Amino acid sequence: MRLYLRAVVFGLVVLVLLAVPLVAILARSYFLAPTAQPAKAQPIAFPHTLHAGTLGIDCTFCHRDATTQAFAGLPALQQCMFCHKVIPVAGRAPLATLVNSFNTNTPVDWNRVHQLPEHVHFVHATHINAGIQCSTCHGDVATMQTVSQFRDLRMGDCISCHREYGARTDCSVCHY
Amino acid sequence: MRRREFIKLVTTSTTGAVLFTGCGIGNGDPAYKFKFESPVQNPLDVIYGRDNWYATTCQQCGAGCGLVVRVFEGRAKKVEGNPDFPVNAGATCARAQAAVQDVYLPDRVGSPLKLSGARGSGSYQATTWDAAAKEFASDLSSAGSGGTLIITEPPSGAMGMVWTQFAGKFGAKQVAFEPDERVVLREAMRRVFNSSALPAIDLAHTNFLVSFSADFLHGWISPVQLSMGFGQFRQGRSDIRGTYYHVGPQLNGTAASADRWLPIKPGTEGLVALAMAQYMTAQGLADKAKAGTIYGGISLDQYAPEQVAAATGLSAAQIQDLAKRFANGKPGVAIAGTTAAAHTNALFNLTAVFALNLLVGSVGVPGGLTLNPGSPFPSGATSLPTATSGLSYRDWAGVINDMKSGKYKLAIIHGVNPAYGLPASSGFADALAKVGKVVALSTVIDETSQLADLVLPVNHSLEDWGLEIPDPGPGFQTVALQQPVINTLAPENGNPGFDSHSAGDVLIAAAKDANQALPWNTYADAVQSTAGALQGLNRGNITATDAKTFMLQMQAQGGWWDTGNKAAASAAGAPTKPTPAAQPQFTGDPGAFPLYLLPYPTSALDYGDGARVAWMQGLPEPISTTVWNSWVELNPTTADHYGVSTGDLVTVKSANGVSRELAVYVNPAAAPDVALIPLGQGHTATPNRYSERRGVNALDLVDASKVDSETGALAYAATRVQIATTGKKVRLARFEGQVPAFQVPGAPIIEIIRPTQKQG
Repeated sequence: MRLYLRAVVFGLVVLVLLAVPLVAILARSYFLAPTAQPAKAQPIAFPHTLHAGTLGIDCTFCHRDATTQAFAGLPALQQCMFCHKVIPVAGRAPLATLVNSFNTNTPVDWNRVHQLPEHVHFVHATHINAGIQCSTCHGDVATMQTVSQFRDLRMGDCISCHREYGARTDCSVCHY
Repeated sequence: MRRREFIKLVTTSTTGAVLFTGCGIGNGDPAYKFKFESPVQNPLDVIYGRDNWYATTCQQCGAGCGLVVRVFEGRAKKVEGNPDFPVNAGATCARAQAAVQDVYLPDRVGSPLKLSGARGSGSYQATTWDAAAKEFASDLSSAGSGGTLIITEPPSGAMGMVWTQFAGKFGAKQVAFEPDERVVLREAMRRVFNSSALPAIDLAHTNFLVSFSADFLHGWISPVQLSMGFGQFRQGRSDIRGTYYHVGPQLNGTAASADRWLPIKPGTEGLVALAMAQYMTAQGLADKAKAGTIYGGISLDQYAPEQVAAATGLSAAQIQDLAKRFANGKPGVAIAGTTAAAHTNALFNLTAVFALNLLVGSVGVPGGLTLNPGSPFPSGATSLPTATSGLSYRDWAGVINDMKSGKYKLAIIHGVNPAYGLPASSGFADALAKVGKVVALSTVIDETSQLADLVLPVNHSLEDWGLEIPDPGPGFQTVALQQPVINTLAPENGNPGFDSHSAGDVLIAAAKDANQALPWNTYADAVQSTAGALQGLNRGNITATDAKTFMLQMQAQGGWWDTGNKAAASAAGAPTKPTPAAQPQFTGDPGAFPLYLLPYPTSALDYGDGARVAWMQGLPEPISTTVWNSWVELNPTTADHYGVSTGDLVTVKSANGVSRELAVYVNPAAAPDVALIPLGQGHTATPNRYSERRGVNALDLVDASKVDSETGALAYAATRVQIATTGKKVRLARFEGQVPAFQVPGAPIIEIIRPTQKQG
């Protein structure tokens, strides 16, 4: 009897231990859901509302690789300075940071807003060329003072959209 | 398994794996993973996910092959041959392939280093470039005229031009270091062909090739160019398959491709060549009067095959057969090098062999030796040095004495490692300690730079500009352009990098700081303005009319060449100075020291330059297939005599009193009275994770008092050794025998049968 009890207790302990990672995974995806994240503050408070909204600059003017490459591309500071060398800095604190970074040759490390896992290949060019709008995944950036993640962008989200548009859904489309 | 162990295992494996992955541990800098960088400048041609190919020039050896390097997001990923470049036409060797590993070497010097302990202790403290440059400039000023010694590779190309100008400004003594074999070869070219440049060999049209010990497919002068020629020689023609005989004491990787190997006693290459010349003239196969002019003071009649056969270890009939084939197989080519140039009669060996080409009229004809034309650059103050030679060992002794006497206040060393490449008994390291200040411009800490007070990290050849005249060229005027294919790996975002500067820029800046400005602002300037002079010639492969397009096209093509500009066939005159015939001398009594020590450069490590790169350490030596180590090769009969087999440790004791323990590799392709030891291992400088404390430096066993009587080059194959068993055994890491041979129907396994064994 005693022996039997020991085996049961042992089995329960094993089950509990095995459950720990499972619970951890579930908790992680529940509490860390991408859309539930607060908007991250950026080293330079870049107003998409002004650039994409008021001024109406096309997304690909700055993210110029979006139509041809996997990565949409982040503009070099030099590209910001195309315009900003003639825009007065006075009274615009974020702009002072930009000009200062450019003059001191310091790259700017932005906080990533959209981070797909490393085992997924997302190619911007394919989606843009298939007629998908930037805002389909990124939301209306022109209204976001600080950009945050708009869609879930986890595998279920990708697949439902792929099904909707009749795109391939086999594993190797993204996992290669 | 006990319960406790099981629980421990579960907790540490599954849960641990999930938690650690979640926290991003083991993934570099976890915080930086969530960052996304905006560079300051728009990258010129970096498109993420797309590769770029840049043409440049290989500097892993002196041959000057053209490369195209695949660069992906700012990192050099793969090296290929430049298909347009005439020297190598798209081919490369293993050393060029390993350039990508050489540039990202983990032990590269990361920042300027200042000695913080005793000299040679290897304790350094990182310093800034500003401080280091200031110190260098003030050392230059205070050394005064004649107080500075500059040790570099033989000055060539744009870097040689900057060094020469620099040395001139400061009244410095400039000396060059290269393996002694090449010093002998250069002198042989001068004496036989009256030309400093090495000749091109038109193997594609040769019918009979005889190589005297030259390892021309693996390391000798321009292995890629010669390997491509050799392919054409064997298979490029529908009617003729060229015949290749190898004469030498060792069946090296190249000789393994020969139709016949004639094993000779070490150092008798010249004697065999003279016997061939005697036989050819006596049989009317070659002009006697011509032989008289070519061989100068040597009376050929004393060297009939019957008379020298015993000394060479061949039979008279073998020499006669070789001479007949060489004379009748026109066009025939005879070359000599590698260990043939490492004896006390080195120059005689080489001149006697290369003169055979003149004797049968194989110079300046298709299928023979083609002399290379001179430099296309206008001569003058900023002309490119080309086809220069290093100091012979005898001349080094003079320099070492000067260093010991305290004549030099400052020594600057760049790109060479004489503390390793000169035998320890030369006293180079001790002499360097007597120099007031030692500054090393180096990418790594090697045996020489670890003796320096100040180490300045310089750019790797893939990160730097350059202009070279390949030597040997392809037979017409050719200039190779080297351009940086990647930026230097400067430290950024707190990540360590290699904060290196271009060696040329360091010199130009130092000269400026010491008020002796050179005529250029940057090294890139020096290269581009020199290369621009080619535009004025109005010929060659680049036809652009404006300077900028000319330079861009030259960068894209990898150089400039003019296939029409060849040296006149008549350029080769009679030998300028006869070299007296000489027998090789050896240190050690043959009774006590029965074996000839024959150190040889291997295809991967060469004379030791390749040892710092892991791929080169792991590249099997072609015959023994051994990797990552040193060994001694013995003939099966010799091995039987000592009762040793492959993997047994033996003590090799040299006649100079030094002994080293080495593992035996039993090799039927080593002559019975020879002990072969590869060069290139036995490095002591630290940190060098791939080369330090690995194998032995075969030069330690060499009696450094034996030099070539003519040139003074070190005769590193002129020492005798004895062997003693130790009773210990090691497992020699090698490729051979790792996978058992299996029977394929119709293709029997080849058995190696010793001559003494009867076939069962």
